[in-house]
Amino acid sequence: MTTRLTIRIFLLVATCVVIINACKKSDTEKKGPTPITFKIPAGFPDPFYKFTNNPLTEEGFELGRKLFYDGILSKDGNFPCASCHQQFAAFANFDHNLSHGFNNQFTTRNAPALINLAWHKEMHWDGGINNIEVQPLAPLTAPNEMAEDINTVILKLQSDSLYPSLFKSAFGDETINSQRMLFAIAQFVGSMVSADSKYDKVKKGQAVFTDPERNGYQLFQVKCASCHAEPLFTDLSFRNTGLPVDPQLKDIGRMRITNKIEDSLKFKVPTLRNVMITFPYAHDGRFASVRNMMDHYSDGVQDGPTVDPLVKNKILLSTLDKFYLTQFLYTLTDSAFLKDKRFSQPE
Amino acid sequence: MKHPLLYYSFRFIYGSLVILFLFTSCKKEYSAEDIPIPPVVKDHNILLKFKAVVNDTVPLAFDTATYTNFFKEPFTVHAFKFYIHGIEMINTDSGRVFRISANKYFLVDFSDTTTTTLKLTILPYLYNRLSFVIGVDSARNVSGAQTGALDPANGMFWTWNTGYIMAKLEGNAVGRGAFEYHIGGFKEPDNVLKKPTLLFPFGQTIDLKPEKNTEIIVTANISSWFYNPHDLRFRDNPVCTTPGPLAKQISENYSKMFTVVSVINE
Repeated sequence: MTTRLTIRIFLLVATCVVIINACKKSDTEKKGPTPITFKIPAGFPDPFYKFTNNPLTEEGFELGRKLFYDGILSKDGNFPCASCHQQFAAFANFDHNLSHGFNNQFTTRNAPALINLAWHKEMHWDGGINNIEVQPLAPLTAPNEMAEDINTVILKLQSDSLYPSLFKSAFGDETINSQRMLFAIAQFVGSMVSADSKYDKVKKGQAVFTDPERNGYQLFQVKCASCHAEPLFTDLSFRNTGLPVDPQLKDIGRMRITNKIEDSLKFKVPTLRNVMITFPYAHDGRFASVRNMMDHYSDGVQDGPTVDPLVKNKILLSTLDKFYLTQFLYTLTDSAFLKDKRFSQPE
Repeated sequence: MKHPLLYYSFRFIYGSLVILFLFTSCKKEYSAEDIPIPPVVKDHNILLKFKAVVNDTVPLAFDTATYTNFFKEPFTVHAFKFYIHGIEMINTDSGRVFRISANKYFLVDFSDTTTTTLKLTILPYLYNRLSFVIGVDSARNVSGAQTGALDPANGMFWTWNTGYIMAKLEGNAVGRGAFEYHIGGFKEPDNVLKKPTLLFPFGQTIDLKPEKNTEIIVTANISSWFYNPHDLRFRDNPVCTTPGPLAKQISENYSKMFTVVSVINE
């Protein structure tokens, strides 16, 4: 009898253990994606995009990274996001005034660098996109860019051998829809923060400007910073810098979005972070070098009804000023960002 | 030597534990959705049916039938769809209003019959007006990637100038070629959101009793797009695919396209 009693006690204890463990086990199995904290660099304002409805996670970021580099998002498979947004060019299109798209077509504007976009209220040179999440739909559906249809992309992703499980690890189940695809890309592109240039190190007291760089910085603060405002090096406004209209492109800029005559020929002020490697410049890439760009401001500005008052009368810049300014602009190159493995093509 | 009391108490404790396990363990794993809803409970008590018509009463046939607009211009219809949200049932006598959640969006697409009947649940009462917003609220136009009815894959979204197409009418203006009206715009002064309030046919009301259904049939008249208060001729404006004054005029026209033709109380 004592044996039976022992067995019963043992069984009772075992049952208790099973019951307790049954609950515990399911807790550990249920662990979701790993959260990432979005770090705001010192001196930066609050970002516009805060990942509020799209929590930033390792798995979501990695899925976005894979999508960014995958031609599957384009009609013929040749045009991933990365075809016009190259990391070594700060995610602009290196040495291309306009980019190449589907069926040997050109884009109609210069591919902008993808830097610190979480702080941008509007994307595109004309500000037509009001939320970073929906930005990828523009190149994806443009017939001269990726030329694809949203439903077709979703179908391709759903029938892929890898994507369903990647969506599952990022979002909890294998459902693939446009929202999840856009969430993932927003996690990746929204995480592209460049704030570790020499300029930033100087600001933090970790480096010192050379004399020409310091001279350039002082000139910059007087002559350029009202539009290219620190620390983003853009005030995110739309301005007409007095560029003659290209007779082929006939680009009216911001007016295309707002229908307002006062917005005619206005384009978004681009960031100058990493500017030395994002050439060519201006909305149509008409200037091959920063020197050409500065020459425009000192000599080339053409007046017109919507030309910005700050450049209307040209900006007085001597040859030496331009040299110093260029030396300063070099300090905005963020090599750590350009080589950051997190943003490179996944293997 | 037997100890019956001990034996039974073990059996009792053991059995109770198993039962306890079955009923209570891992309870937190269950959420409200997992509790099966008894089949007798209905998920809706209002059927709001939209029917596309031309010239007030002629049922729409896509592509095959030719109609004429107010200006005697012949046309066929290829696509006809619109968003609605913010549905309200109103009793103008008592002032009571029942509002369906404004976050619930419906894309009524006449090429897909599963989208033209909306199943709604409202508080049983007497109502004599129906109101809703045609289009997508401005907040939803600026808050990024949406899903469900608002999925950009539904083709009611501008990718180059973020915003929803609130209403779409496409077809062929016979002898002239395709016409395309993609009406949108959520920012002032180009806001095309419209909120018509519809009267019910004379003598008819929603008289909804608990456990009963009411069916409301609403026609959407394509002919309304072309006049009153603004003239819209294929000759002058076969295309409108951007926000702006023309889109706004067309939205003013189509805001008058709805008529409640019958209310059937169970």
